[in-house]
Amino acid sequence: MQNDSIYVLLADDDEDDRLFFKVAFESIKIKTLVKTVNDGVELMNYLVDNQNKLPHILFLDLNMPFKSGMECLQEIKKIDYLKDVAIAIYSTSASEQEIEDAFVNGANVYIKKPHDFTTLKKFLEEVITINWHYLTSGLNRDCFLLSL
Amino acid sequence: MKFIIQIDINIVGKKLLQEHLDQMQLNYILRGTGEVEINEPFSDDKLNELTLGLKKYGIVIIEDEKSILIQKIKDAIIEMVYMDENSPITSGMPTFLSDKLKYSYGYLSNLFSSFTYTSIENFTQLQKIERSKYLIINTALNISEIAWKLNYSSIAHFSNQFKKVTGLTPSTFQRIIKKRRQVQIKEPDIETNS
Amino acid sequence: MNKYTFFLKSIFIISLFILLFISSISYKHASSLETSADLLAHSYKIQIQLHQLQSYVKDAETGQRGYIITRDSAFLSPYFNSRSKINKSFASLNNLTINQPELQKNIEQLRKLIDLRFILLLNSLEIMTGSKTDQSLDENMLKGTELMNDIQLKIDQLVYLEKTIFNEHQKKYDHDITFTPLITLISLTFTLIMFILSFIKINKDLIKLMNSNEELLISTESIKHAEIIGEFCISIWNINTNKLIYSDNLYRLLGCEPNSFKPSVKNYLKFVHPDDRHIVANGVDKLLKKHDTYTRLYRVIRQDGQVRFFRSIGKFIENHGQSTHIGVIQDITPEHINNSTLQEKNRELELSNQELSSFNQIASHDLQEPLRKIQTFISLIKESELSGMSKSDIEYFDRIQNSVTRMRKLIDDLLLFSRTNKTDKIFEESDLNVLLKNTLLELSEEIEEKGAHIESAQLPVLKVIPFQIQQLFKNLINNSLKYSKISGEQMIKIGCEKIAAKDYPILNMESEKKYYKITVADSGQGFEQQYAEQIFTIFKRLHTSDEYPGTGIGLSICKRIVENHSGFIFAEGKSGIGATFSIFFPAE
Repeated sequence: MQNDSIYVLLADDDEDDRLFFKVAFESIKIKTLVKTVNDGVELMNYLVDNQNKLPHILFLDLNMPFKSGMECLQEIKKIDYLKDVAIAIYSTSASEQEIEDAFVNGANVYIKKPHDFTTLKKFLEEVITINWHYLTSGLNRDCFLLSL
Repeated sequence: MKFIIQIDINIVGKKLLQEHLDQMQLNYILRGTGEVEINEPFSDDKLNELTLGLKKYGIVIIEDEKSILIQKIKDAIIEMVYMDENSPITSGMPTFLSDKLKYSYGYLSNLFSSFTYTSIENFTQLQKIERSKYLIINTALNISEIAWKLNYSSIAHFSNQFKKVTGLTPSTFQRIIKKRRQVQIKEPDIETNS
Repeated sequence: MNKYTFFLKSIFIISLFILLFISSISYKHASSLETSADLLAHSYKIQIQLHQLQSYVKDAETGQRGYIITRDSAFLSPYFNSRSKINKSFASLNNLTINQPELQKNIEQLRKLIDLRFILLLNSLEIMTGSKTDQSLDENMLKGTELMNDIQLKIDQLVYLEKTIFNEHQKKYDHDITFTPLITLISLTFTLIMFILSFIKINKDLIKLMNSNEELLISTESIKHAEIIGEFCISIWNINTNKLIYSDNLYRLLGCEPNSFKPSVKNYLKFVHPDDRHIVANGVDKLLKKHDTYTRLYRVIRQDGQVRFFRSIGKFIENHGQSTHIGVIQDITPEHINNSTLQEKNRELELSNQELSSFNQIASHDLQEPLRKIQTFISLIKESELSGMSKSDIEYFDRIQNSVTRMRKLIDDLLLFSRTNKTDKIFEESDLNVLLKNTLLELSEEIEEKGAHIESAQLPVLKVIPFQIQQLFKNLINNSLKYSKISGEQMIKIGCEKIAAKDYPILNMESEKKYYKITVADSGQGFEQQYAEQIFTIFKRLHTSDEYPGTGIGLSICKRIVENHSGFIFAEGKSGIGATFSIFFPAE
């Protein structure tokens, strides 16, 4: 029922995590296009550049050099034309406070990086699916909150 | 000055559609949710023009039959979920759907999952939770009132469902939304031109 | 004081008056006595004269008789002598009775009688000599005797009259005199009493005054000593009269000799550290404007150049419309230095703690990362290559997974252990029943899995760190679940009792202090009592990892949590029967 692939962008400074991410998406039923960037500054530059296609959903690691995930999140939320981009925080740390702070600052999803590959696939599939429902079924993006 | 608004998407969508169709000076009838009947000959060019015009509002003209059916299933589910709590459907979702759409539930179920990668049950749950989110954000009802309004057997049942779908408890969700509003009020929006 | 002086003055004036009164009375009495004596003398003089008159006349008569009898002219000399004597007597009588006409009248009559007598006597003499013949001697003698009787009567009359007059006068004086001694006696007695009372009172007051004085002296001396010992000094400033007094020690504290300069704010400011002068100056301003002072800290440079820290506080005393400011200045240099050092050390410690805490956090996170990767990669391999791997390969991978999982849990537990302290944690009144309920909710899956039955008594509300108490319950109940019997129903009973410390020798406290004894007892496998203390030691386990998973940190965390709350924890076990953990929390 999809016409376009879902464009997924990941910002994570860890090479292994980027690898896991890409491999996981290979087995998701929904058609996706995955791009990765290595840090916060690269991410913001990419998003700000007109020529670049905007992702449907952005996965953001919190602990990144130069610009942290939280800083990026806050900046992105201030930019008007990025308001339709769903943002998922994808992080190793997951204290209740951090999760809440992320949501309060505008994140739609919070994923604690699992240590089991199967679980990772399941999480990502769920996020993409739900996000797709938000895109196609006229649901209110402001209500899109998911914590895994 | 800042104020918070509440948008009824259905009304907005309908209005936009009407305005656009009026603008194009078309003779039309709106039927139910998402169905428009144009009472005059309609060329392909006009169709393209209409399609493009509506696209920028996020209004999409569904063409193929299966997509139409999927949309109808979704609409039916939404209708059932948003029904008044005093007149719930006693027959249950499967019966309701098959009665309304004139297909067997099994067929509908398979069709839905293969296209949306989600089961009807999951989608229903999602919609129900969406409605509860809407109620939490936009009304002053408390958790127990919302649970009752949505025909859950108990608050615990509702909380568990909510947590299962979103990963958060209803109260946590409520708190986050409240804090979000405070953050938004404090920080001015920056309009960046691309 | 005024009452006292008034009392003294009035006593003095009264006494003076009484004295004057008494002296005037005495004087009056004395002069009365004198007059009385004079009167008596006078009266007696008159009487004597009268009686002398009588004897003179009798002498004359005797002389005449003698001559008549003997015709001796020698007997005539008394007769002649008596005449002049009688005249003298009459002269003095006249003198004596000048103021008494009554008497004078009678004396005249007497004189006439005596003159008559003498005439008769002369007649008798003339008869004798023959010059007179118209009378016989016997007639003459008879007449003479009658006349003598008359004279006697007259003299008696006079005496009686005189006595009467005298008695009258005497009575008058008597009347005056009798009261005087009585009045004097009464006044004297009264004055005596007053003197005695005054003396007692004055004596008492004097003693009081002396005692007060002594106390004052002692007090002043003590204050002086106290000032030296306590290293503080006093300033007394009467705002109305602008009189400022500095105690001796103020000068000493500034390194000077007592009274080496005149007490004034200006002079004092000279000693204050230039950077802190505004503090003192502002304080004085506020004092004058609003009659308000509060604690001020500032530095002072002593005469010898040493820098000291002073603290001054003061208060206004209102007394009879006079506002006096009492200021106390204390040299808190050693205290201040100690405090500063303490604060400095505290800051260092806090910083050190913070660093350690963040180090722990980061270390734990950085250690976990590679482990997570290992786990994920292994699961990746297993998933993709599952079909192509040998059974032993799969087993080896599983074992790697196990080790990694174990290591991750160890790091997590260690981090939790290092974080289980009191610093920056908030103690709040919490209902332990709610905390227990939360724990049971958290462990609901495991409880259901083991089919455990949990019973709990009513737990108290205590001031605790809620998160830590929940952790405590979680660890203990988890243990109970983990080490449950292989078969049969697992029973966990949570009890609560309020006890006194001295009733439980295990607490080793003799006091009446109250504790809540919370017990978590299970019917699991139990353990040997000899290990009861050991199990709280970190990393000490009673099983191998193959038998039961675990890091050996759980109970150490429990012990730390209990210690954070000033409590105690003990374990009791019976192998094959069950284990009971007893936690003691202070009741207040």
